Amino acid sequence: MKAIKKIVTWARIKSPWILHFNTGACNACDIEIIAALTPRYDIERFGIQLKGAPRHADVLMCSGPVTKQIEDRLVKIYEQMAQPKFVVAVGTCACSGGIFTGCYNIKGGIDTTIPVSLYIPGCPASPKAIIDGVVKLLQSLEESEVSKDAS
Amino acid sequence: MPAEENIIKQLKEKFSIADDKIKTTRQRRIFLEVEAGDFRKVFDFALKQLKFVKLCAITGLDENEKLAVLYHLAQDEGVILNIKISVPKEKPVIKTITDKFSVADAYERELVDLFGIDVEGLKPGFRYPLPDGWPAGQYPLRKDWKPEVKNGK
Amino acid sequence: MENKDKFRIPIGPQHPALKEPEGFSVALKGEKIMGVDIRLGYNHRGIEKACEERPYIQDVYLIERVCGICSHSHSTCFVQAVEEIAGLQLPKRASYIRTLIAELERVHSHLLWLGVAGHEIGFDTLLMYTWRDREIVMDILAMLTGNRVNYGVNVIGGVKRDITPSQIQDVLKGMDLLEERTKYYIDLAMREETIIKRLSGVGVLSHEEALSLGAVGPTARASGVARDTRRDDPYAAYAEVSFNVITDNHNDVYGRTVVRLKELMESYKIIRQLLKNIPDGPLSVKAPRNIPAGEAISRYEAPRGEDVHYVKSNGTEMPERVKVRAPTLANVQAVKQMLKDRYLADMPIVIAAIDPCFSCTDRMVTVQNFDTGNHETISWDTLRVYGINWHKDRGVDFSNVTK
Repeated sequence: MKAIKKIVTWARIKSPWILHFNTGACNACDIEIIAALTPRYDIERFGIQLKGAPRHADVLMCSGPVTKQIEDRLVKIYEQMAQPKFVVAVGTCACSGGIFTGCYNIKGGIDTTIPVSLYIPGCPASPKAIIDGVVKLLQSLEESEVSKDAS
Repeated sequence: MPAEENIIKQLKEKFSIADDKIKTTRQRRIFLEVEAGDFRKVFDFALKQLKFVKLCAITGLDENEKLAVLYHLAQDEGVILNIKISVPKEKPVIKTITDKFSVADAYERELVDLFGIDVEGLKPGFRYPLPDGWPAGQYPLRKDWKPEVKNGK
Repeated sequence: MENKDKFRIPIGPQHPALKEPEGFSVALKGEKIMGVDIRLGYNHRGIEKACEERPYIQDVYLIERVCGICSHSHSTCFVQAVEEIAGLQLPKRASYIRTLIAELERVHSHLLWLGVAGHEIGFDTLLMYTWRDREIVMDILAMLTGNRVNYGVNVIGGVKRDITPSQIQDVLKGMDLLEERTKYYIDLAMREETIIKRLSGVGVLSHEEALSLGAVGPTARASGVARDTRRDDPYAAYAEVSFNVITDNHNDVYGRTVVRLKELMESYKIIRQLLKNIPDGPLSVKAPRNIPAGEAISRYEAPRGEDVHYVKSNGTEMPERVKVRAPTLANVQAVKQMLKDRYLADMPIVIAAIDPCFSCTDRMVTVQNFDTGNHETISWDTLRVYGINWHKDRGVDFSNVTK
């Protein structure tokens, strides 16, 4: 059982599949997420791939403050993802509501609606910061697996 | 005579507009105020005779006792004619201009959602821009509306 | 329920079980779209109200974030209105720098669009090529302004960043490189059969329809509507540079592609003129904290089309009213027309071709099928893949387009 779990974790860490979702953002973070995929930054060399469906994704990358219109859809997507799943808040708005804090149609950062595993600030978050953040998330996964095995 | 002055002259002659209701703030900009009841005549004239064939936007304004609607029309040559009408806040009603500008659909829906203006003749459709569950009677862009109310959704 | 001549477009929440609001409601008969209704508002953040509660200085930063792709467009359009009300006379150098950033933004935006369009039709190689090239202009923007996106260059009364002679040389070198690459893309669009076949006759909008439905930007210009705010209602330094307004008569997505490609070439031309003639002088004039009472309407040709801002001031440090009409809102009616009686498989690229300002990463599409009476909700990505496969079955395969 342990051996299988290790392989599954390794596969997950080595090749996380990402679903990108905009919850009311201005698009700046979204284009930097996509830029992370393109040749200059090439996040795919880490095995990271962008997938279209929640059921196939390990990591949900959210940009934007949560608007009232999008809230239910965000929760639905999160619920459709299989465990273990991780949520990354990309950009200052996703982290905390950012410059839109206090606006009448905004709930706040992503963590007002679903649990967040990793916060990547920036306005927008640069592709370098995004890659850095995702790598940190993967490392912490690996470490938590190692510490579980040790105990 | 620069383009704006010519346009102002024609409007004044046709509709006997008082001097303080029409002004030019710079080249290619004219601001005009008319009675809500006269709007359609002036609008049709501007569209047909003066060739203001483009609707740039419609802006709603809260002016305390009244709600105002500002129509921004442009000619191909660049002059913008801004026509303002006012309606009472207790019963703000205007008529749609989507018969002439289908693009006005979204702009008029904004007036409905954000100011509570009733637009007669607007075809049924999705509301814009507020979400479905938005409480009735709450018009965010009115001056007396405060964001604290948002938490009581 | 069904009528041969008319069709009922689903409006409002269709299915009680569907709690989430649909982005697009499609009435489908066979493989053809009878009608589409588009539901916007997902990105409605309440910015106009927020502007009334913040001083002008903060509003400049807020307005920049209406849309991150054309942030400079919104920021400039806004400060232009405020400067007009305050009666500020901009120093020429500031005007030139604003225009320079404006054209660099157009370049990044059009290259971005090319890549996104490629992705929608299954031509991912194009996405990789164009976004790799786009990094040239992203580097330039970061060098000049300190940020890749959301440049923060404008202040009320001018700009806050200068350009040095060596930076000018770097920009010119970048333009030479990009011009080479753009020529390659133009060549690709002109002679590659697969592209021509895929994009021609798709998303058709006649000249008359473009006019009557109020289309703006490259979408309108691809239907022969020669409207460009830079020429019709000049602002910043546009009256001092010479450029062509690009129009095309294909009236379809192919035309919209050609227009954007040629506009890139015009942008390189404009940028070179600006850098050659940029006058010396201060970067800004002092702006008062309280803007005197007044109103102004400002227009700007953003990469997506005409952007309109109306500002009303009341003598305080906060505006009385700020109204933003972003270009995409003006193109929504046109898009609905473009989709009528067309194949569902073309929906992704037709919508992408107006270069929409709403993020299309996961807008739900609800399809009401008149043949079966079924409602189906599908994700945008599922629709995209459907479109790519549908066309693959008809001989459109981008995996064979190389070089």
